[in-house]
Amino acid sequence: MIALLEGLLELDATLLTVAAGATIIGAVSGGLGCFAYLRRQALVGDVISHAALLGIVGAFVLSWLVTGAGSKSLLVLVPGAIFAGIAALLLARAIQDRTRIKEDASLGVMLAIFFGGGLMLLRWVQRGRPSISGRAGLEDYVFGMAAAMTRADLAMIGGLGAFGALVLALCWKELKLYTFDPGFAASLGLRTRLVDTLLLALLVLGIVIGLQAVGVVLMIALLVTPASAARQWTSRLPVMVALAALFGAVSGLVGALISATELRVPTGPVVVLVATLIFVVSILFAPSRGVIARARARVRTRRESLGSGAQGAAS
Amino acid sequence: MKPDPRADAGGLAGDAGTVPALDVVGMTVAYDASPVVWDASLSLAPSRLMAIVGPNGAGKSTLIKACLGILPRIAGRVRVFGEDPREDPSRVAYVPQRTSVDWDFPATVLDVVLMGTYGRLGWFRRPGAKQRAEVMAALEQVEMEDFAGRQIGELSGGQQQRVFLARALVQDADLYLMDEPFSGVDAVTERAIVGLFKSLRDRGKAILAVHHDLATVAEYFDEVTMLSRAVVASGPVGSVFTRDVIEATYGGAIGALRASGDEGRSEP
Repeated sequence: MIALLEGLLELDATLLTVAAGATIIGAVSGGLGCFAYLRRQALVGDVISHAALLGIVGAFVLSWLVTGAGSKSLLVLVPGAIFAGIAALLLARAIQDRTRIKEDASLGVMLAIFFGGGLMLLRWVQRGRPSISGRAGLEDYVFGMAAAMTRADLAMIGGLGAFGALVLALCWKELKLYTFDPGFAASLGLRTRLVDTLLLALLVLGIVIGLQAVGVVLMIALLVTPASAARQWTSRLPVMVALAALFGAVSGLVGALISATELRVPTGPVVVLVATLIFVVSILFAPSRGVIARARARVRTRRESLGSGAQGAAS
Repeated sequence: MKPDPRADAGGLAGDAGTVPALDVVGMTVAYDASPVVWDASLSLAPSRLMAIVGPNGAGKSTLIKACLGILPRIAGRVRVFGEDPREDPSRVAYVPQRTSVDWDFPATVLDVVLMGTYGRLGWFRRPGAKQRAEVMAALEQVEMEDFAGRQIGELSGGQQQRVFLARALVQDADLYLMDEPFSGVDAVTERAIVGLFKSLRDRGKAILAVHHDLATVAEYFDEVTMLSRAVVASGPVGSVFTRDVIEATYGGAIGALRASGDEGRSEP
């Protein structure tokens, strides 16, 4: 045990940074993802994360135009990601309000436009004739590269994560009430526009925090998969959020370590594989909601009804 | 001293001299361009039970939501005991349609009924032992005290409705606006809910409820508002709930409903 701890302490600083960062990301995204899951906003989250690519590359280009060298600091890229994600969402809502196009279609259109635009701009940055200094590694935002995390990035991830957790704890009952029954919440005089915005802000936070490590394409999985797995095990919201945070943290940690040390593959797919493993175990083996438990209950019911039927026939 | 707002309005509400629990004047609500509720006016005195009756799409739910300020109204005025309910919502309790929420939400009966205390608690304060005691008292009133720890997904339709009623009771309001409180409940629950309504009325509370069963309007309620986008008629059941008014409310498609309308009218 002590030898193991010493071994861990001897890990190089980079790996520790990556491990800590990926754990925080997984915990925050997993916990906040419960509200996206309960509000059926998985697609909204997917649009925000895909659209973020355009904002990330755009912010990089902007920093190059302003300073002469492209910056990949999260302090530069995260605001760009937030801006693009929100813009895509507002445009989708504007389409819904002004046409008869439904929510899923308008969100799908915006996802495609922003992600496609992001890929094109990324291609241009990588191939561009005046070589933009600092452009190497920007493509990692597509599938994620936790190994690229710096200490400054970790500080930002930790700060954002702590802020998200604090807001969640302080406004817990308002967020729960609005998620369960928005009409009743409004009748109590709750400022529902404010709570709605707060939930959107937390969703955006849960997404942008992991874009570097997990990537825009798969970030939605870290938001929704731990929540879906956690829901299998419990019917209490606090337990669900805690479990989802735990599942997310394990997925982030294990995924990032495997990706950074063994395989040298993008982090996103590995994190998602770990999260999916937890998800599959949960939907199979969870008590009462799990597939196996439900099949057993069905068999039991059938046997009981057959038994009572046989008795009825005998008498 | 405030002047009596109903002094010049003909005294439909009966209790002359008291401020109406709910007073709606000229309310119009619209989604997009087409109005859903048009120029609706009604008045409900304390200690009265009023049904809102009308065909599907008549705007019954919309009327209730607009009274609460959940939906914006493009014209009109709503007063609850003389005040704007958006400024002080504490005197109104709302029971939404049972099917408007996802009952697979991870919460217990206790969790849901506790939500009725959130309005008084305000932001950042958490419910404590006092609120829990209030919840248990409300659950006793709807005979659900043994279900406090039950996951809400395991409840029957009638039990879900009782949970929503308990949540409204916890609010300790003076006016209750209810959207289809009898929908999907069994006969036993329906009788229990009616009994609860009458005991609330006897304690001075006013209830306005969307109701579908024309046959029980006269038995359950004192007053009725007949709605078909506009208010066709509103007032005591005995004078308002007539065949002519029902036909005017439901248009031509009333043939089959005529019998039940007559039956309702024959009640005292």
